[in-house]
Amino acid sequence: MSAKKWLVCFVLTLLVLILSLGAFNWAVDPFGLFGDRFMNWYAYDMTQNPRSSKIAWLDAHHDEYDSYIIGCSSTSSYPTEALNRYFDARFFNMIMYGADMYDVECESRYIIENYECKNLVVNVYIDNGLHYDQESDEMTYSQHAKTEGSNLLSYYLRYLYAKPKYAIDKLMSASSDTYLKQSFDAFNPQDGTYDKRARDVEHISDTESYLEAYPVFGNYPTIHPVMTHIDDTVGSLARIKALCDQHEVNLVVVCAPVYYEYFHCFRREDVRRFYSEIAAVTPFWDFSMSSVSYEMRYFYDQTHFRNCVGDMALARIFSDHTVYVPEDFGVLVTPGNAEAHIDAIYQSGPAEETDVSAVVPTLLYHSISPEGDNGNGMVVSPETFEQQIAALSAGGYTAVSLEQVQDYVRSGEPLPEKPILITFDDGYQDNYTYAFPVLKKYHMQATVFVIGVQVGNKTYKGTDYPITPHLTDRQMKTMAASGLISFQTHSYDMHQSSAYEEGRARIDMLQFEGEDEQAYIDLLKSDLKAADEQIAGISGKEPIALAYPRGAYSELAATVVAQSGIAVTFTTEPGANVVLKGVPQSLYGMHRRFVYEKTTPEQLLSYCSVARG
Amino acid sequence: MSFTSFPFLLLVLGTLVLYYTVPGKAQWFVLLAASYVFYLWASPILGLYPIAITLITYLAALRLSALNARKGSMDKARLKRHKRAMCALTLLSCFGLLFALKYLDGVLVTVGALTGQKFTPLSLVVPMGISYYIFQSCGYVIDAYRGKYPVERNFGKYALFVAFFPQMVQGPISRYRDLGPQLSAARRPDAVFLRDGIQLVLWGLFKKLVIADRAAAVVGTVIDDYSAYSGGIILFAVIFYCIQLYGDFSGGIDIARGVAELFGIEMPENFRRPLFATSIADFWRRWHITLGGWMRDYVFYPLSFSRPFSALGRFARKHLHGAAGKILPTSAVTFIVYFFIGIWHGSDPKYIFFGLWNGVLITAALLLEPVFARIAKAVHLDRECALFRAFRMVRTALIVLIGRYITRAETFLGALDMLSRTVNTFALEPFADGTLLKLGLTAQDYIVLGVSLLCLLIVEGIQERGVKIRRSLGGKNGFVQWLAMFALTAVVLIYGFWIKGEIATGFIYMQY
Repeated sequence: MSAKKWLVCFVLTLLVLILSLGAFNWAVDPFGLFGDRFMNWYAYDMTQNPRSSKIAWLDAHHDEYDSYIIGCSSTSSYPTEALNRYFDARFFNMIMYGADMYDVECESRYIIENYECKNLVVNVYIDNGLHYDQESDEMTYSQHAKTEGSNLLSYYLRYLYAKPKYAIDKLMSASSDTYLKQSFDAFNPQDGTYDKRARDVEHISDTESYLEAYPVFGNYPTIHPVMTHIDDTVGSLARIKALCDQHEVNLVVVCAPVYYEYFHCFRREDVRRFYSEIAAVTPFWDFSMSSVSYEMRYFYDQTHFRNCVGDMALARIFSDHTVYVPEDFGVLVTPGNAEAHIDAIYQSGPAEETDVSAVVPTLLYHSISPEGDNGNGMVVSPETFEQQIAALSAGGYTAVSLEQVQDYVRSGEPLPEKPILITFDDGYQDNYTYAFPVLKKYHMQATVFVIGVQVGNKTYKGTDYPITPHLTDRQMKTMAASGLISFQTHSYDMHQSSAYEEGRARIDMLQFEGEDEQAYIDLLKSDLKAADEQIAGISGKEPIALAYPRGAYSELAATVVAQSGIAVTFTTEPGANVVLKGVPQSLYGMHRRFVYEKTTPEQLLSYCSVARG
Repeated sequence: MSFTSFPFLLLVLGTLVLYYTVPGKAQWFVLLAASYVFYLWASPILGLYPIAITLITYLAALRLSALNARKGSMDKARLKRHKRAMCALTLLSCFGLLFALKYLDGVLVTVGALTGQKFTPLSLVVPMGISYYIFQSCGYVIDAYRGKYPVERNFGKYALFVAFFPQMVQGPISRYRDLGPQLSAARRPDAVFLRDGIQLVLWGLFKKLVIADRAAAVVGTVIDDYSAYSGGIILFAVIFYCIQLYGDFSGGIDIARGVAELFGIEMPENFRRPLFATSIADFWRRWHITLGGWMRDYVFYPLSFSRPFSALGRFARKHLHGAAGKILPTSAVTFIVYFFIGIWHGSDPKYIFFGLWNGVLITAALLLEPVFARIAKAVHLDRECALFRAFRMVRTALIVLIGRYITRAETFLGALDMLSRTVNTFALEPFADGTLLKLGLTAQDYIVLGVSLLCLLIVEGIQERGVKIRRSLGGKNGFVQWLAMFALTAVVLIYGFWIKGEIATGFIYMQY
């Protein structure tokens, strides 16, 4: 080819190559800046760079929101549902990991000037005094050119020609994506929050087991931070305030709860200056230091407080007395009370364990029958049962209902002095015949977990195989009407017997090996829905609790269960339960003690008292 | 403005468009303007240096030329004195400036250390590429002194010769006789020049971005913390340093020469496949050729024919027997030249050792040559056979490799320590236990680097056989030409720009 032809060919080749490299990043769009048209996976994009990706998302979806909450990672702990309820608004959570007040100011300005914005909640963390305008150059940290006011073309070009690692990583991650979040898809794009579905169903009980799960609280790192950016941070806040005033946006500033050991790493004079200067700009709600700060179980990790604490903070702001809020949690700080408030928070200390938590030993029965069983001792005779209940009654124990325990956790309603829970799994007819009269006699509340599909059955569902007869609708109605017995679910049909099933029996609620994840989730949801409808139909109350068949559960199962409206779950792990005011996770994965025919009243009392410490 | 940056691309494209649209008489001026845009981009203040050098050498050359014109009308001895004084003054001021900028601190600190006094370093900013344009313009002054060709009277055109932007920061060092007329000639766009230029630029980018920048990652990781690695890895890193240095420097030169070709200007070669050198002397004829040529013409020959060295030669031939007598003066000058080449690289004492190391090797080769010849004859070895050539190549490469310990280590003692560790703690295990993947490169990077090096070796092997690659490619059919172009372009775009190695470096030789 002639040199001229070569030159033309070269220019064309170069163009095609350059365009195709850009097209690759455009199509995969690992930062969600170009609309993510093909994968539409903003959970991933926002994780890559929340600052940029969320703005790109909002540019397309801002008409779905009218209010915003903004700040560093702890901002995600104010649940959207609560924000929407209290503010009567539609919130988007503009949390950006590692955000400083420079980020917050830029993004707030953009939001206020470009979207409808009725409320702006700014979450200030104590760290905000340490950093200002940092890390803005990295691909994963940089703000959108629109919010920072930098050159839009060079910004888009930078991402269009970002190294392909980002796009390739996204494609690889897509192939290993699961229902639950993984490190690469930590966000819920719909409201901008971190995906905490799994974190919020983890079992929380006593401090010892919490320390085992989170050893960091046992050996908290000591650092010596110096707030070198108070002026910058407060300056940004003042500009945000002015902007809100100008655009008639309702600005609410909150200072997030801080774990006490971290708080005390800071110099007192820094904290004093930081908070006084913020108060001089705008009144703000300070939650940073209180008895909550001393309770490790209110924290996901060393710096992030739990969503349930966010619920408490919002309840305090809106004086919602149906939600438990410790008395010393949250103060509206103004220039008038700032000094006194700062002195006060340094006086705060931990709450008494018995004021905020309760031990609830839980007993697990199955069948109560004079016929005994073939040797595993799980069938308790009516006589033994009555002896056991009588002993508990004489020991001063009061069997409470699940609702009572739930109210304790949710709104701090007091429990009787020595509460216990009595539970029956499977829903046998003999619970009606033999147990119910005894419970009535001693006025003990109890919970029966029925297998939905077996209700009223004397033979295994759909077969002639005889089984221990199960409760009928009528019996259940009678029991429920007494107000003593509540019916909850033991799954509708996920506690099958492999002896009577054709094919693979679903003996518990776990996913089969190799089973399609979505199909499993759908099955789980429809099973829970069926149970829900059945129990609500019979007892008039929708179930709030589930006893996992065989006590078996997984993170995925627990998450789906919680999403289906179940607030209390039980396993068959032995041990006691400590329920904590304001921490609904203490109602998940609760432990139970098997009670056998051979269990003596002394053993039972000893379990209950040991559990109480 | 780096050769691999977007602003440089814009500058080249803009200059090209202007260059080929303005009338022929103004074309040189476009290049001059572009050159100063290039230079002033980094720092306007530093632009004063090339202007000062240009002015000094321009005036000196004019004066020398005027003196030359008076030949016959002036007393010969007086004329010579005049010319010498003029030339010496110019060279002293130019090299004095270079010395002050680059070496004064080092000398002061050394003197201070010896006398027990403490000097505060001046920490002058060394403008990029200053030694290249000082060497180039001083060569011009010496040519003017010798009256080899008429000097340039147009200040602007001369300024362009000093500052022509592709070559200004890392060479090649051109001679006015070759470059001057090309710079001021009127040209129309020529597709062949454009194509060849683009090909050379691509090849340079390939060597710099795909090869050198990848190799650099390993070099930086290991050498900066060499005591943490065993001998095998140190050796591995020094080999990578050789690769980096060659890719970086020759790649930069290819880009410079390629860009010049876009303007229809041919600059001298600076590298001729140094891996294929069969001796150290041969290596220096293939590595940084224009610096070697400059030293040869302006240091080696003048010194060799100078009175003291002629005297030394006569003395040696009289008093020493055999080869030693013949080569003493040559070798003495050789030492001086390599001393200069050594310190050209920097003010650290290690560079003096580097110069001496080369001087010793070349003298030793000269001394031993008759011995080798006798041995070869005795064992009936054909010293031109391919196998023996290969042996000499490997041997030369090893010797160069040892020299690289000196240039890359922090200090001369550091180099010795690295060398001793290479030998004493040599182990092969680190090559199999995953250490290689912790040196800053991924497995993919190693593959890219390996394949690229293989391509480089094949291309250079073909060139070594006397084939002109670009000419011969031009004769192939269209598809082959397109394929070569596509492959090179895609590799440079993807592995050079898009998937960067972890460490992107500036051009090493820009600092000299």
